Amino acid sequence: MSYIEIQCGEVLSSVIFIIEGELEQLPQRSAIEAHINSCLPCTAEIAHERAMHDLLQATLRRSCNESAPEDLHEAIHRQLRAQMSGATEVVTQFSMTEISIEIDEFGNIEHREIQIEQTHIQHFIDDDGTQGQGRDK
Amino acid sequence: MTSKDLVLESAADRTIRFERDALVFTDQLYAAALRYTKNPEDARDLVQDTYLKAFTSFHQFEEGTNLRAWLYRVLTTTFINTYRKDQRRPQVAQAELEDWQLAEAQSHTSDLGKSAEVEALENLPDSDIKRALQEIPEEFRMVVYLADVEGFSYKEIAEIVEIPAGTVMSRLSRGRKQLREKLADYAAELGYSVATSKKFVEAAKKSAKAIEGEVSGE
Repeated sequence: MSYIEIQCGEVLSSVIFIIEGELEQLPQRSAIEAHINSCLPCTAEIAHERAMHDLLQATLRRSCNESAPEDLHEAIHRQLRAQMSGATEVVTQFSMTEISIEIDEFGNIEHREIQIEQTHIQHFIDDDGTQGQGRDK
Repeated sequence: MTSKDLVLESAADRTIRFERDALVFTDQLYAAALRYTKNPEDARDLVQDTYLKAFTSFHQFEEGTNLRAWLYRVLTTTFINTYRKDQRRPQVAQAELEDWQLAEAQSHTSDLGKSAEVEALENLPDSDIKRALQEIPEEFRMVVYLADVEGFSYKEIAEIVEIPAGTVMSRLSRGRKQLREKLADYAAELGYSVATSKKFVEAAKKSAKAIEGEVSGE
């Protein structure tokens, strides 16, 4: 397979794609892979970047692991219940029956009945004066 | 649940379903809100607003799709629209180059630099990690947080933040880089660089002696 030879700089600037496993997004993918396979400093650099990435992730997760204050859970629950009781539902039901009777030349009677039903429910939830949300089925 | 059942779901049933499925993420959303807003009061308000908005549009959420990602999207857009202190468009977006890869000069890191970086990350207290995260620009902070703390894929982040996938990659790359630079600075303040420079001096002395020996041995 032929490829254009690339420099270390180009490999290193694509490190994010390598770490994220998204190298196939780059058109110069095969050239990058070929370079890495034959370049020890780049191989070492990528190994370091991977290790740093894992370490940074573990560090971030550890330090950002925070719980919401206990009363926030309660406040959200109260807020939702208040919303619910303020919600209004408007139900529109529509039904129609179409009846057709056909009599052919021999006097046979054919009778058909078609029933159409539709239910439309609209939820109006007070949200600082914004419009209610409608839903149609 | 069929679509007919959904239509006929009462407000009370929907509230119960929402509480059961969505409220398990309160702690996670609060932790994210803390990093977004940088203070507990705003974080609290942001989480409450997020749940309220999510609840009122819960009927638009397709069951079976990723509820957690959807909630993060509501959180992120609510933050961007309401809580962003600086209402001007982010400066980063303007500075963002299409060929961002080319814009960054890249060269190999020395082994010494590598070990110093690892040492810094392993020794810094949580408060410094959070401080560093707060000091990088908001656009970078959000994608780094979503990727590295929450573990969202870059495609999911593109939807959550509503930016192109390529922009996610660029911000992720730059954000992580800036974060690491900040952490290295803090480590230096705490004295880890002293140890490193001592090692460096020793290594330099050793190699100087070796060269001397080679030269005098000739």
